[in-house]
Amino acid sequence: MMNLLVSGGAIGGHLAGWRHPDSFSSTAMQLDCMVEIATLAEQGGLDAMFLADGNAVRQMDKPALFAANSPSDRPAVFEPVTLFAALSQHTRHLGFVATATTSYEEPFAIARKFASLDHLSGGRAAWNLVTTQYVEDSKNFGREQHFGREERYERARESLDVVRSLWDSWAADAFVQDKSTGQYLDPSRVRLTSHRGTHFAVKGPLNVGRSPQGQPVVFMAGQSEAGKELAAYGADALFGAASGKEEARREYADIKGRMAKYGRDPASLRILPGLAVYVGRTAAEADALFDELQALIPPALAVTYLSKIIGMDVTQAPLDGPLPTGSQGQALGGTAIGRSVLDMAAREGLTVRQSYERILPSMSGNMVKGTPSQVADELEDWYCSEACDGFVLSMPVEPRSLRDFVELIVPELRRRGVRPPSYQGRTLRENLGLTHPADPFSASLHVPAGKSA
Amino acid sequence: MMNLACIPNMVGAHLGGWRHPEAFENSVMNLQAFVEMVQIAERGTLDAVFLADGNGVRDMDRPALFAANFPSARPAMFEPTTLLSAVAMVTQRIGLVATATSTFDEPWMVARRFASMDHISGGRAGWNLVTASNADDALNFNHGEPVGREQRYARAQEFYEVVVKLWDSWAPDAFVQDKASGRYLDPTRVGPIDHQGEHFQVKGPLSLPPTPQGRPVVFMAGQSIPGMELAARYADAMFGAGSTKADCIAAYADIKGRMAKYGRTPDQMKILPGVSVYVGQTAEDAERLYETLQGLISPALGVHYLSKQVERDLEDLDLDGPLPADLASETVGGSSLRRYIIDMARRDNLTIRQTYERVLPAIGGPVFKGTASQVADEMEDWYTSKAADGFTIMAPIQPRGLRDFVDLVVPELRRRGLFRKAYETTTLRGHLGLAEPPSQWTQPAPAQRGAA
Repeated sequence: MMNLLVSGGAIGGHLAGWRHPDSFSSTAMQLDCMVEIATLAEQGGLDAMFLADGNAVRQMDKPALFAANSPSDRPAVFEPVTLFAALSQHTRHLGFVATATTSYEEPFAIARKFASLDHLSGGRAAWNLVTTQYVEDSKNFGREQHFGREERYERARESLDVVRSLWDSWAADAFVQDKSTGQYLDPSRVRLTSHRGTHFAVKGPLNVGRSPQGQPVVFMAGQSEAGKELAAYGADALFGAASGKEEARREYADIKGRMAKYGRDPASLRILPGLAVYVGRTAAEADALFDELQALIPPALAVTYLSKIIGMDVTQAPLDGPLPTGSQGQALGGTAIGRSVLDMAAREGLTVRQSYERILPSMSGNMVKGTPSQVADELEDWYCSEACDGFVLSMPVEPRSLRDFVELIVPELRRRGVRPPSYQGRTLRENLGLTHPADPFSASLHVPAGKSA
Repeated sequence: MMNLACIPNMVGAHLGGWRHPEAFENSVMNLQAFVEMVQIAERGTLDAVFLADGNGVRDMDRPALFAANFPSARPAMFEPTTLLSAVAMVTQRIGLVATATSTFDEPWMVARRFASMDHISGGRAGWNLVTASNADDALNFNHGEPVGREQRYARAQEFYEVVVKLWDSWAPDAFVQDKASGRYLDPTRVGPIDHQGEHFQVKGPLSLPPTPQGRPVVFMAGQSIPGMELAARYADAMFGAGSTKADCIAAYADIKGRMAKYGRTPDQMKILPGVSVYVGQTAEDAERLYETLQGLISPALGVHYLSKQVERDLEDLDLDGPLPADLASETVGGSSLRRYIIDMARRDNLTIRQTYERVLPAIGGPVFKGTASQVADEMEDWYTSKAADGFTIMAPIQPRGLRDFVDLVVPELRRRGLFRKAYETTTLRGHLGLAEPPSQWTQPAPAQRGAA
């Protein structure tokens, strides 16, 4: 089955989403908005809610952009794991994908909070492993400079191994709680992690019992070479950044092709590109929504936003001249999203204005617009072309866009048999079509530390 | 009015508590059981639930004790801020206090989690700042060895200061969210904190605005001198101050006496010693409960437990003889509980057996035992004697102990006018009778950061 996740917070995925009349009137620290989004997603049978995250307030040096609050700035957001712990009490099936960084969080703390969320939600927790791409985050953790990419990915891999080993600390049946004998736990059903590596030294065991999914699901999002390799090595799901179906097909084959050398079955990794959805009952209605949102962005703001995305100041460049491509070195050092925008502009000969008009609606990711049937066609086409295993959906205006998706597109996808009529699994893993990792204490199995089964 | 918190420890506060027929059948990762306790506490209009915590599995080198799971071992616990965020959804008024350590966490992360929890709970979050006394927790955080006390407290002080600055990053009115103009926020109503200290360099601002109660309430528990100094300087509330009434009176005066030099008045901090309550319809009921629990602990286990607390292997010694004469109560890095136990045994001339029998019912803290009226008498006496501003109630068996406290003792306290009949405020700060903290944004400050 095609997997569907909804991403983003209450302000919506379009830069002007929060200004639209159909958006929430207030979103800063509004728990009710998040509850409504989660509830809607669950009504539509979506697999999970995905929240990107960072550990800094961004764009303070660009007051106009800062004041406008672009969707990835997040100046006022809940800490994701506490938020999802709260939302888990308002839902029964929806999974929760929270971001945590291996660059600035300790493996023990990461292992603990996600195992805790998995228990609180009855098996619906996922960790989106990031290495932190926004360099200024480092300044909130005592570092003038962010870790270099290579070191970040080394740390990430080591952290992942440690976290998984900690999740495997206890046998599922370790806590016997026998009142008559006084034996609360079986000391032979717990093991130390005893990790001494390059970046981390962690003794273990974790002080959380084995979680309902065995291990929470691990998401990643890296599209760099190192990111792809790490995903092939250890991700259960990947938030894909490929732009366009053909590129997505190549990436899909590329990443899944790397898995064999880690002894993994390609089916054990779900690749889920981001997709912004503009749907209307008619094509004209979808167009109208799109145009209303584009019109809410003044060119000056749009150019500043574009500059931010590509990591290059183009605010002085003529609006209707070509998008400067910068030096090769700059492009190489930038983010995957920034590079894909520059590639697209070069390939298609886009002006500055055309470039931002393309990226605004989808934060530079993929976009689909049209009637429910047109949108479903596109989703189905990607899915059946081995371009993806599903999507992480970006909703331009909340809660309208998610409600529209649930009411208009979900029934269509169900009719076509690419989405189940209701939740099929008990856990997020099951709903994603993933297996539960084996309990390392179960006698017939030997699972090496740090690897999922 | 007295302030009352409770410790919702699912296994109970007595080492034999979880074995009692009226204890939870399953106390491992059992959200439903936890919620049941907090809802009982909320029915009793308690100020807060208080979650002790650590970041390590303890006593794996003592298999007998490890298998028996003594109340502070905590081998399987929810991470506290996630747990209490979930619990906030099924409670309305009660304060939710979670522990986080300044020794192994980052100020940014702690500021963020607790501010988040405060927004989620509508102003009911508390942070119990600990420096982590369980030495082995260090081994889970890249330290080859335990971190010394002095270093822990120096770090704790700076940690607290950074967290508070982060909590005050934004003006409360910064998020204008004006759809018409497209201004979501006012960039002049926020600024970096630019903290450059010995232990931390944190730029800020925090990615959360001020919280519903201004900022989360800060609890501390330290009983060492540096711990008391830090509490006198910064704590809004304190857990524990001594083990007997006389100790508590002395500690209360001592800690509150230290506040003036930090420009604080004594009423700006609430001291809530932990007490174990064994209450029954009759004094005999209470006594029977107490004896039943003591009877669930074999001498071997009792000795293991005491050995752990005093950091000395007592297993080969005579049960009915004294503690070893060379056992010094003051050791570098030793816990206050250890000091207390050794001093008590020496003062009262106790045997090893008598010592563990004294320590078990309350993990070294005071025990209030008897009818509701007798328990209330003691509480009133301590309260009016300035031994405490209230108490942190530890129930030997859960959920029975907490239910008995709420059903029997709370009504008696209310009758005496010592405790609220209903919640009068919506925030933890309000329940505790503490004022809104100052903010650089609402009070004219000499150097208003970031508002240029």
